Amino acid sequence: MAGPKTSTAATSKSSPAASPSAVQSLWQAYTDTTPSRLKLIDAFLVFLMLSGVMQFVYCILVTNFPFNAFLAGFGSCVGQFVLTASLRMQVNPENKVEFKEVSPERAFADFALGSIVLHFFVFNFLG
Amino acid sequence: MVSICSLLVSLLSLALLSLAKSSTGDSVLVVLEPTLDQANFSVFFDGLKKKGYELTFRAPKDVSPAIIQDDIPSFSHVILFAPETKAYAGDITPQSLVTLLSKNTNVLFVLSSKQTPVSSLAPEFSLILPPPGTPLISHFPERDTPPSVIPIPTTTNTIPVTSSNLSPIWYSGVSFALGNNPLLFPILRAPPESFAADSTEDTGADAVVDAAEKSGEGLWAGSSMSVVAGFQTREGGRAAWVGGVEVFGDEFANKEVAAGVKSGNAQFAQELASWAFQESFALRVDSIDHHRVNDTTVREHYTTNDQVVYTTHISKFNAETNAWEPFSGITDLQLEFTMLDPHVRTALPPVPGSPGEYSVTFRVPDRHGVFKFVVDYKRKGWTHIHSSTTVPVVPPRHDEYPRFLSAAWPYYVGAISTSVAFWVFAVLWLAGDDKSLYKKKGGKTQ
Repeated sequence: MAGPKTSTAATSKSSPAASPSAVQSLWQAYTDTTPSRLKLIDAFLVFLMLSGVMQFVYCILVTNFPFNAFLAGFGSCVGQFVLTASLRMQVNPENKVEFKEVSPERAFADFALGSIVLHFFVFNFLG
Repeated sequence: MVSICSLLVSLLSLALLSLAKSSTGDSVLVVLEPTLDQANFSVFFDGLKKKGYELTFRAPKDVSPAIIQDDIPSFSHVILFAPETKAYAGDITPQSLVTLLSKNTNVLFVLSSKQTPVSSLAPEFSLILPPPGTPLISHFPERDTPPSVIPIPTTTNTIPVTSSNLSPIWYSGVSFALGNNPLLFPILRAPPESFAADSTEDTGADAVVDAAEKSGEGLWAGSSMSVVAGFQTREGGRAAWVGGVEVFGDEFANKEVAAGVKSGNAQFAQELASWAFQESFALRVDSIDHHRVNDTTVREHYTTNDQVVYTTHISKFNAETNAWEPFSGITDLQLEFTMLDPHVRTALPPVPGSPGEYSVTFRVPDRHGVFKFVVDYKRKGWTHIHSSTTVPVVPPRHDEYPRFLSAAWPYYVGAISTSVAFWVFAVLWLAGDDKSLYKKKGGKTQ
């Protein structure tokens, strides 16, 4: 997704510096070079990942009893993550060459439709 | 018109009811051996007539009235006072007697020490008879009667088909051992000092002593032998077996067991007949009801884990009022909820305050399939109660499962937050500043 960008940022500071500065420069490069819309997507992805991890930990440690509820909750996180990641791939200017025929508007419409269908199934299955 | 008809029918049934003294009918066929005089049994027969039975007499070799005709019993009860008859008319055969019993007709059998068709039939009822020609003999207590005429106390009864507080009963006849058939039970046991022997003379005592030392089948003695036994078929017909016909005779009924104390024969004979003719110890299931707790309608199927109330009403026949009366006297009734095996077996106690009602509440097991409510009450002497009601148990319907469980709230919150976040994301995306993206995109393309 953001692979090419981060790698260029890393190579630009390839000196054997201390790791804090590497992470710092990585973060600096990310904040500087990433469009704000992709940052919005990244924030959403992080939220979804944390939510999914928390539900999985709860399922392992406490109970999986209404298993359908677990599947629905966890599946909504995973599904939404996949859809959002796809959106990020399609709207990323770096990947413009790969998705010539898909405009960002078209990508968002696909994403929104897919998400609404996903949530329909999730709430049906939630019990 | 309909109401008049139903009125007539109910009047007719009322009239029939008032005549009948037994729970199954009042016609009795007495097959009386020619050597036995009807007048010698007047106490017994008059007692039956007084209770309302219609007695029909015939000799064993008479052709009519037939005991069974076109596979339908002609009488409700049969008294077979033919202890020494060796040949019967064509309609009285062991097979026809067993057919009668399986058709809920009752038979009173009388044995003697002679080998007869009836004594050959006895082993089919798990009665083990001593060799022919060996009547029951006892030299105790000391008395002025022959050793083969024995006073038997009634206090040893374990199954109270007849009263146990009667005066001793004069007895003369054979004793028999009881096999392990669960349908068979002793009504009157032989006295402990009695034994079966082919000679009343004391010179034959050595043979008895030998037999006692060898034990086993050689010895027919003691209180494990019975002189009166009852057998209740699975269909409900009752057979009473008595080792000697003299028990019912006038001579023994009027004979004193002690100075001024009349024997208990007369009352014993009536009580035995009332058991055998299904007057006493007759039970029936009136109704069965099952429903969910807080519900009243009988359901066609139940859901797993339902709380179910099972109620049954049981009546006992009362010969004095000629009616079935609610009976709450059963304390060990059980209900089983079975699918091949009993998944639930619970006590079915009488409900205090409502006579004849037995009720229990239980939880349907967490298992679906075709279940049966089974009440199976088989006690010796009593009519067997067997009731079975089939009812399917199904899993909950799709909308009957519990919802909004507290344990599932993290999952609910996860799913809702995802949706909310999606909407927030969509709003931010559409309303947000998109210059940077398009600028970059435009720059690249240019």
